[in-house]
Amino acid sequence: MKKLLTLFFSSLALFSVMAQVDKGNLLIKNGTVITITKGNLEQTDVLIKDGKIAQIAKNIQAPAGVRVIDATGHYVMPGIIDAHSHIALDGINEGTNPITPEVSEEDVINPFQIGIYRALGGGITTVHAMHGSANAIGGQCETIKLRYGNFDPDALKMEGAPRTIKFALGENPTRSHGEGSGIVPRTRMGVEFVIRQAFSEAKEYSEAWSKYNKNKLVKGFRGAPPAYSYRHEVLSDILNDKIIIHCHSYRADEIYMMLKVCKDFGIKRIVFQHVNEGFKVAPELAAQGAMASVFSDWWAYKFEVYYSTAYNAAILTRNGVVTSINSDDAEMMRHLYHEAGKTQKYGALTDEEALALITINPAKQLGIESRVGSLEVGKEGDIVIFKNHPLSIYGVPMYTIVDGIVWFDREKDPDDMRLVVDPKQNIDNAMLRDKNSDLDHCMEGAEFILDSELFNANKK
Amino acid sequence: MIKTITLLRSISGVFALLLFASSLQAQEEKELKPVTRTYAVTNVNVIQAPGKKIEMATVLIKDGLIVSVGKGISIPPEAIVIKADSMYVYAGFIDGLSRVGVARPKEEPSRERVKDPGNPTPERAGITPQNDVRYSLNPADKSIEDLRNIGFTVAQVAPYGNLLPGQSSIVLLGGKSIDQMVLINNSALYSELSGANNVYPNTIMAVMAKWRELYRQASQSKSYQSLYASNRTGLERPASDRVLEAFYPVIDQKMPVLFKSEKMLETHRILKLKSDLGFALTLGDIKEGWPIVNKIKSSGAKVFLALDLPEEIKKEEKKDDKKADKKADSTKAKEVAKPKTATDLEKDALEKRRAEAITNYTSQASTFAKAGVPFGFSTLSAKAKDIPANLRRMISAGLSEEAALAALTTTPAQLLGLSDRMGTVEPGKMANLVISDKTYFHEKSKVRYVFVDGTLYKMDVKEEKKADPNAKVDIEGSWSTVTQTPQGSNDGKATFKKEGSGYKGTVSGGRMPAPVDMTSVTLEGNKLSYSYSLSFGGNSIKIDVEVTVEGDTFKGNASIGPRGSFSIEGTKNPKN
Repeated sequence: MKKLLTLFFSSLALFSVMAQVDKGNLLIKNGTVITITKGNLEQTDVLIKDGKIAQIAKNIQAPAGVRVIDATGHYVMPGIIDAHSHIALDGINEGTNPITPEVSEEDVINPFQIGIYRALGGGITTVHAMHGSANAIGGQCETIKLRYGNFDPDALKMEGAPRTIKFALGENPTRSHGEGSGIVPRTRMGVEFVIRQAFSEAKEYSEAWSKYNKNKLVKGFRGAPPAYSYRHEVLSDILNDKIIIHCHSYRADEIYMMLKVCKDFGIKRIVFQHVNEGFKVAPELAAQGAMASVFSDWWAYKFEVYYSTAYNAAILTRNGVVTSINSDDAEMMRHLYHEAGKTQKYGALTDEEALALITINPAKQLGIESRVGSLEVGKEGDIVIFKNHPLSIYGVPMYTIVDGIVWFDREKDPDDMRLVVDPKQNIDNAMLRDKNSDLDHCMEGAEFILDSELFNANKK
Repeated sequence: MIKTITLLRSISGVFALLLFASSLQAQEEKELKPVTRTYAVTNVNVIQAPGKKIEMATVLIKDGLIVSVGKGISIPPEAIVIKADSMYVYAGFIDGLSRVGVARPKEEPSRERVKDPGNPTPERAGITPQNDVRYSLNPADKSIEDLRNIGFTVAQVAPYGNLLPGQSSIVLLGGKSIDQMVLINNSALYSELSGANNVYPNTIMAVMAKWRELYRQASQSKSYQSLYASNRTGLERPASDRVLEAFYPVIDQKMPVLFKSEKMLETHRILKLKSDLGFALTLGDIKEGWPIVNKIKSSGAKVFLALDLPEEIKKEEKKDDKKADKKADSTKAKEVAKPKTATDLEKDALEKRRAEAITNYTSQASTFAKAGVPFGFSTLSAKAKDIPANLRRMISAGLSEEAALAALTTTPAQLLGLSDRMGTVEPGKMANLVISDKTYFHEKSKVRYVFVDGTLYKMDVKEEKKADPNAKVDIEGSWSTVTQTPQGSNDGKATFKKEGSGYKGTVSGGRMPAPVDMTSVTLEGNKLSYSYSLSFGGNSIKIDVEVTVEGDTFKGNASIGPRGSFSIEGTKNPKN
């Protein structure tokens, strides 16, 4: 008991220090370094200085005062990146309108969710915290680093990461709005229509503003400015490639449709999420530079995902599509390295290819590949140290490091890692709820629409 | 037939008589002006301001103002003298955010279904910043009396609603009409970070997006209106917009935005809106501010901390343990020697963290005081009857009595811009006073008199005397209850049954579909209190009833969380 409590209090003390120090110094000695981009280096050291990888070499001398982790016999790899998750958020779906690009998950980061710490235990360092899929154009997402222990939600943000936004095709938006509220979109055609309509309006909006701004320079100009619309501001940013689209999709026809929409509006950056039928349109995806983030082997949970294969990731990869494997789930997130390993059974990807699915490839999809996703000098010190190879069924993350700070240490893993405690109850509700995470998180928060009379009437 | 007519005639005659009589009575009851508006509170310990005390002095009040304070003041002949021998007088307390005296909207508009949930009317979306809380004040609301009885004289009150329900006012907790109550109208633009039911904006992220959009649209329309006003040539006439125009004084920094900011993450988000848009901000009813006190401090926001605290952990379990020990003396030794199981240890650790959490809430005020952040208090989510005890809990958690008093008087006066007229017991200030028989923060202290704007309210201490700890009453059986609510009187039934040394009970009637078990029943002398919970759409509401029993009747209050308290009466039903 005493030991437990001491551990617990020492962890608390750790928190308060960590919250102030965001970047650390660390020397990881003598591990097998899996760089992802530059092969494996046996018995090699990695030095992190001020949160960044300063040196990767043999026999690096530890600078004074720098903590040293002995990784002899262990595997040192880049922190795992999950390109599709809904953890650390208060609110997932603004399911009231098919077009809601103005809402942003950035505003509702919840740094206290215990799932963040659990994800660290699975070697995750960066997460794409996404809006749900109730809307054709959903909300903006946030790329966060799992600095669990901070009380300020902003401290989790990956500063400077590109903006991203959630789109959704198929059954979820048609169920929510067509069946749920009796408005467009009711069909896949409707989904295409509302997206094209939103883009066209945004085009008009930004043209009206450029015209107004141009006129304003003329001396003696009199006139009213176009009415400000937050929604159209964000849509214009998408058209100007300032925001990467992450598009929930399953069927090949809708994926191909969305590729055409992007082409028509000159949008270059799009990542398809789930993409179960991506294998049917892999060459088309590759030709347009579109990327794909998939499940390893999850399907048949609704009608539109019956035509699926576990070979999806391998086929996409072999066709030159930048592919990642995601979790969309707080539990699956804790063993993404297993999910990546499945591509070796289904598609015989190499170790390097398989691990790229959860490191450098998701980094590319989030536009952060120059900062994380591989072990290279100058990149950020986001590292996971595995006992046994990460693609082995015996692989276990021992340390998870973000910006050179150890945020998870399996040897020092206290029972109670909650940051805030509800004064009314002993156990956090989240702890119990997380167990039932086999639901489709993409629709969380939009259930009320599905419960509506109209929805049920239409169903009959 | 003839008989009927005569009968009818005589009935109408009685009716006319009755009407006449009642009109006569009405005339008699017509309120007279008070004989005098001059009062002298004598022989009293005056706490003029935190840390500034005059012993055994006189406070002279005339026409709503404090005229003089000190020793040896001559008392004018017309003065009503209040012999407050060895009592304590303080400046009346000021509440930074509450809904005291604000009538609840009768129907919740959020229930109706909207055709297109993405484009509701502003009213349905909870966006009515142009509304004025004055139109929903009710001077007869019992909550005013409840709060005044514990020493509050002024409150900043906000309208009901979620996102932008309207503008707050600073009101006196006295007065017969709305206009008599209102001291400052449109004191702040009130807002909460909560979404509309089933329509846009439904989530917090949409609420924040909508907030930004409205503010930017208001800034745009405001500058266009002034452009048009200065020269109309070549410009379309700007249309009037009630919603956006309500933001204009905020944009001009003439009116602050008052946010309910209970939770820590809520506070973070509100501060983010402030830093994005730059409005003057008042944070109300803060409950989890201690981990981010420095962030709040550097934001420059004005601060009102919640007077609501989480309940302390009851020590009942330990009592039970003792009883068990007594009963089984022989096995006691064995039990002590029994090592704790892993489950016990885990339970202990969880319980310990919860106790620490409660301590954090209780010591929030002292944390803010130590960080040098000026703060007042707000009663928005607190029950009036819990407030004195909660203040004592804050004091025993490290807040000095002086700092507590400052947070009730001088600091809120300053934060609300009213220092020139209230917050201290000084000549020239409004006669808002609270007089207690012991120092206010003493456990056994009782408020005896309260002055609001020079009007005296004498606290009824009779009811307290009625409560007799030695009285023996029999509550077992079924009782018919009548609760007076703003929506009219509500009939119910309460049944009590003896069980062991205590009682168990159920409540039924009202809108309850089925009887509900009481969560606690306690009877001390003739003081009966019981609690039960009702759930509405996933929300659980706790109702606490406290009554004094006399024979086969009882009388007292039923309080429903922060929503206020209502008077309740009960009559015992004859046994079948």
